[in-house]
Amino acid sequence: MTRILLRNKLDDCIAAWQKAGFSVLAPVKRHEMSSFGEVQKSGDMALDLILTERTIKDQFFPQTEPLIKYKIGKQQIDSETMTPPEKKRVFFGVRPCDASGLAIDDPLFGWDYKDDYWFRRRDNSVIVTIACAQADDFCMCTSVKLSPDSAKGADVLLRPLLEGSGWQIEVFTERGKALLEIVSSLLLEGNGHTFPLPQVPEKFDLEKVMAWLGDKENFESQFWKDIALRCVGCGSCTFLCPTCHCFDIQDEGDTYQGIRRKNWDSCSFALFTMHTSGHNPRNTQSTRWRQRIMHKFNYYRGKFGVNSCSGCGRCTRQCPVDMGITETLQAITNLPR
Amino acid sequence: MGIQEQYRSEAAALLSSGEVKLVIGFGAGSTADRRRPLFARTPEEAEKFVLDAACIANLSTYLVAEGLLSDGKKVGVFLKPDGIRSVNILISEAQLKPEQVVILGYAIENGKDVVPLEGCNISDFSIGEKIRSHTPPTHVIEAAEKIEAMSAEERFEFWKEEFAKCIKCYACRQVCPMCYCRRCIVDVNQPQWVSTSSHTLGNFEWNLVRAFHLAGRCAACGACDRACPVNIPLRLVNYRMGKEVRSAFDYVAGENSDQKPVLASFKQDDPETFIL
Ligand code: SF4
Ligand code: SF4
Ligand code: SF4
Ligand code: SF4
Repeated sequence: MTRILLRNKLDDCIAAWQKAGFSVLAPVKRHEMSSFGEVQKSGDMALDLILTERTIKDQFFPQTEPLIKYKIGKQQIDSETMTPPEKKRVFFGVRPCDASGLAIDDPLFGWDYKDDYWFRRRDNSVIVTIACAQADDFCMCTSVKLSPDSAKGADVLLRPLLEGSGWQIEVFTERGKALLEIVSSLLLEGNGHTFPLPQVPEKFDLEKVMAWLGDKENFESQFWKDIALRCVGCGSCTFLCPTCHCFDIQDEGDTYQGIRRKNWDSCSFALFTMHTSGHNPRNTQSTRWRQRIMHKFNYYRGKFGVNSCSGCGRCTRQCPVDMGITETLQAITNLPR
Repeated sequence: MGIQEQYRSEAAALLSSGEVKLVIGFGAGSTADRRRPLFARTPEEAEKFVLDAACIANLSTYLVAEGLLSDGKKVGVFLKPDGIRSVNILISEAQLKPEQVVILGYAIENGKDVVPLEGCNISDFSIGEKIRSHTPPTHVIEAAEKIEAMSAEERFEFWKEEFAKCIKCYACRQVCPMCYCRRCIVDVNQPQWVSTSSHTLGNFEWNLVRAFHLAGRCAACGACDRACPVNIPLRLVNYRMGKEVRSAFDYVAGENSDQKPVLASFKQDDPETFIL
């Protein structure tokens, strides 16, 4: 027997979680933009969105994060480490691709050094994924071997009930179990009819793509120059990607004091690889675009055994010149062999 | 023959005669309602051009792409009036040689009909009068008036909330034909003049630097506004700056290519209200 969360009990759940010390975050639409934000009641949530414009990544790896405060005196340097907030958080209504994005980035942030800023937030967060009931032309989770009801990265997975009255619950982790324990009196026992999953057609042949990228002969292929011709080199596709994780460390302040910050950076920018001498090893947009594809579907897999893409489709959805990962991987799939 | 077929064959003719090395136009996009920039180097590729009311991007941005025109060869480009204005500005700022650009001009009327604009060299298009009488869409004017009617505090709050959304992706800059600086001030990092942090203050710095640098130079194509992935109403910034320049100097950017850049030139009768 599975359990059911009714929509009309959601407000009580929020209140109960808050009482237990959690902040509740969910998709919200504010100032003409959708993202994850704190909510007080179910009415604040925008659960019908296919996907928020901003990703959930922002809540774990903010666009700018203070690391150290420092003061340089005559004889000494004082510094103070700034720690990320440790508040417990529930993320309600995460899409499978966004939750997968977190799981994809975990090994990166825990690789040779455990990034406290990421893991403190991860350890204090519970991810409640809601399986998708609709998809758009850009969704491509199935192409990267995920699905509209993937539980990757989720502590709890909810499946929408057919009549829209609530969700059927599946629990995957201890953290998820503990979260539901708090609201157990509000849940129903039972089996409902769940909404059919949307059909998300596979857009490219991932195996073929990875084989082509893995062939060193193709690194200097004319293909890269042709496909990247119209890319204008903005940071839109990387900053809106749930798995892109590059950052830059900057000291902000004057000669005597300041704050050291961790700021988002993007491989699309010419400055990303610019040496102090002025030499730039990736001096054209095509080499930068190649880096983005190679990193996601070759290097990252080589290091962590997983591709750095969860198929959310944002890179195409938001690109000002209608590029994106999908087109390139489709083109590689269709290359004559 | 419809305008699309006509322009396809004109583009093909330019390429087969060798007059241009490349034609920049539009092709089909990833969904039925999207168009994407398409670069044709052969007459066969020119057959893929699409021209309809969805072709709204300002392709003149690509004319200032690094290295594109440095070989002295010509390129053809599909441009609407806003693109033609952009080319005028680029010529007046010495970023383009007029003889290097062959224009395939078109206009979109009533949001649906695509009509040809006669001419092929920039000097063929006398769009000056049209720009002067051009009024931005009502919703832009209404939104701008709403902001102008606010108190200074309210206005600051409004922009604070909008700019707080900025993620410094620089899409607004990258799609803008007028943002051709090889190294934008925010990318000058020895030392770092403008902080790279995307907190509200840093976002203000960036958006104000950009607004000031575009004053009197914006072609009002709306590319930045459409590109912004977090939907900051950049059109309102552009509208206000345009209005400011027009009332102070009776100047509208892009009227013709002989115009002197308004903030980089001096006239005896320029108003000097800022000198107390
Ligand atoms: S692919 Fe699109 S979003 Fe990404 S850098 Fe290029 S122009 Fe920007
Ligand atoms: S690469 Fe594109 S589709 Fe893949 S996760 Fe990033 S934004 Fe989504
Ligand atoms: S500032 Fe915006 S509207 Fe003005 S020319 Fe640049 S892209 Fe076009
Ligand atoms: S496009 Fe929008 S989010 Fe990106 S830098 Fe410009 S104003 Fe900021």
